[in-house]
Amino acid sequence: MASVAIRGARKSFGTTAVIHGVDVAIADGEFVVLVGPSGCGKSTLLRMIAGLENITGGEIKIGDRVVNHVPPKERDVAMVFQNYALYPHMTVAQNMAFSMKLRGAPQAEINERVKRASEILGLGPYLERFPRQLSGGQRQRVAMGRAIVRDPQVFLFDEPLSNLDAKLRVQMRTEIKELHQRLRTTTVYVTHDQIEAMTMADKIVVMHDGLVEQIGTPLELYDKPANQFVAGFIGSPAMNFLKGKVKVNGSATFEGPNGVKLPLSQAPSSSDGRPAVYGIRPEHFTIADDGAEAEIVVVEPTGSETQVFAKLGGEEVVAVFRERHQFNPGDKIRLKPDQRVVHLFDEATGKRLTA
Amino acid sequence: MRESHIALLRAASTEAKLLLIGIPVLVWTLLPIYHMFLFAISPKDSAFSGKLWPDHPTLRNFGIVFRQEHYFLHHFWEQLWNSLFIALATGALTLTIATGAAFAISRLKVKGGRTVMNLALFTYFIPAAFLAVPMYRTMGVYGLLNSQWSLIIAMVTIATPYAIWVLKQTSDNLPVELDEAAVMDGASPMQLFRLVYLPLIAPALVAIGTYAILLAWNEYLYAFLLLSKDTAITLPVALGNFLSADDSPWELLMTTGFVYALPPAAIYYAFRRYMVSGLTAGAVKS
Repeated sequence: MASVAIRGARKSFGTTAVIHGVDVAIADGEFVVLVGPSGCGKSTLLRMIAGLENITGGEIKIGDRVVNHVPPKERDVAMVFQNYALYPHMTVAQNMAFSMKLRGAPQAEINERVKRASEILGLGPYLERFPRQLSGGQRQRVAMGRAIVRDPQVFLFDEPLSNLDAKLRVQMRTEIKELHQRLRTTTVYVTHDQIEAMTMADKIVVMHDGLVEQIGTPLELYDKPANQFVAGFIGSPAMNFLKGKVKVNGSATFEGPNGVKLPLSQAPSSSDGRPAVYGIRPEHFTIADDGAEAEIVVVEPTGSETQVFAKLGGEEVVAVFRERHQFNPGDKIRLKPDQRVVHLFDEATGKRLTA
Repeated sequence: MRESHIALLRAASTEAKLLLIGIPVLVWTLLPIYHMFLFAISPKDSAFSGKLWPDHPTLRNFGIVFRQEHYFLHHFWEQLWNSLFIALATGALTLTIATGAAFAISRLKVKGGRTVMNLALFTYFIPAAFLAVPMYRTMGVYGLLNSQWSLIIAMVTIATPYAIWVLKQTSDNLPVELDEAAVMDGASPMQLFRLVYLPLIAPALVAIGTYAILLAWNEYLYAFLLLSKDTAITLPVALGNFLSADDSPWELLMTTGFVYALPPAAIYYAFRRYMVSGLTAGAVKS
């Protein structure tokens, strides 16, 4: 096991820069998730750690060794690919043993390690099968087995669950997390799915357009997003954003679209009249008599909760309620944001204004 | 009930239409072969009787051929061996060169790969027959005439570009993650080639190997030009020599031809599965 340190990492393909100086510190044994929309550079960064892409600038360290010019096989990292990349002509056991065979490990040791990995993953009965004879989830397990057998310094996962169906995805998510809790191997995990990131990570790195937007624990990102991008990316349904102005005369309020008044717990008096973006998560709305009037557009019950899409000051917002209300499209309701959890962002830079 | 009945009728009529095309094509193809077979089992005097089945079918002709009991057949076994050796060597060399090229171009992405592919395609703008005389000159310059290697080299030259194209297309369809997984597992390019790449393109190798072997086995023009000694020529050239006499022994010519046609038929039958999948590989994105 080892720590991973990425300092000022840059990557260009020809003249197109895709990663513009990224700094991430990953502690030994940590489970770090790189998350972001497609094209944000998260997979490229992972492949730079793996050694599958060379590093245009900056430095990547695994343990205390700078690996910029170290070939992949000497980096002692194992990677799990999105499409599993199992060798179709080898059995499960051969797939898992391949790396050790190449290294010339003694057969007894190979057998022992394959056996151990297959026990951890419950692959015992399938060792002599070929990948084509396995289900998606089993293939994914073999791909992980191949990584476990090597007992590497770092596990790298490149969107490993996106080829699985929704139910299996949830199950494998838990399995991977359990596996990490058991092996405690430093893990870097790439996904575009913020739920995966939230549920699995010790630490999340949110990337966007080749830059790190924010690094923090899942709840830090949820409670204190550093900017409007992170606020909108983390959480589902996504945070509502309303443009307007901060008003401070005595108490602070926010004047939203079409003059809608929204509560603010605090704002410095100097920010009076400042254009800003008001962010409120769907689950932080309540129905209250002193709320802002909104007209219901669509109601989507999921059983455990109900999502309500409504027009607030002409802007569409979404609110989520756990309790069961009688809502119908066209109804007028009064939505009140919980002012303790309101987020305020600078309109121009998107940076967080509230503490 | 009615609907399934109609569907059945429709399927039957499609089948009937296919048969309507298929049967004439089959007859058209088999007729010369049957003709050849008829000659082979006819005694010399009734070979030209024009009957659909000889009055006294015999296997005597085969005995004459195998025991080399005719002036034109004195080197039958040697010539058959020449054909076999040249075909197998052509197949092996073509495969070696084409797999190496396809792997380098498709998997290792070497610089200039595209140029090589375009040049390979370009060779087909010039019909092989046009190159026969220059090839003859070249082999003469290198003192290779009458050597089996002259024909092997010529056949490899003709077969390789096509082989590279097919194998490159097949290789392109292998997911790149397989290579990356192998690289992460610590494989060198040679290990990747041997342990991952070759097993996965094996079906295409069978198809291309068969193609090259049959190309060399069936070759006449180049064999005729490059080889002339009785002990150096291949069987097709020897068959051509039958016609140099005034009274060609047609029944023996046909018997030898029939024997010569059997191995390709057997190979094709054995590998028919790979032939179809291999030769059309890369034609469409699967």
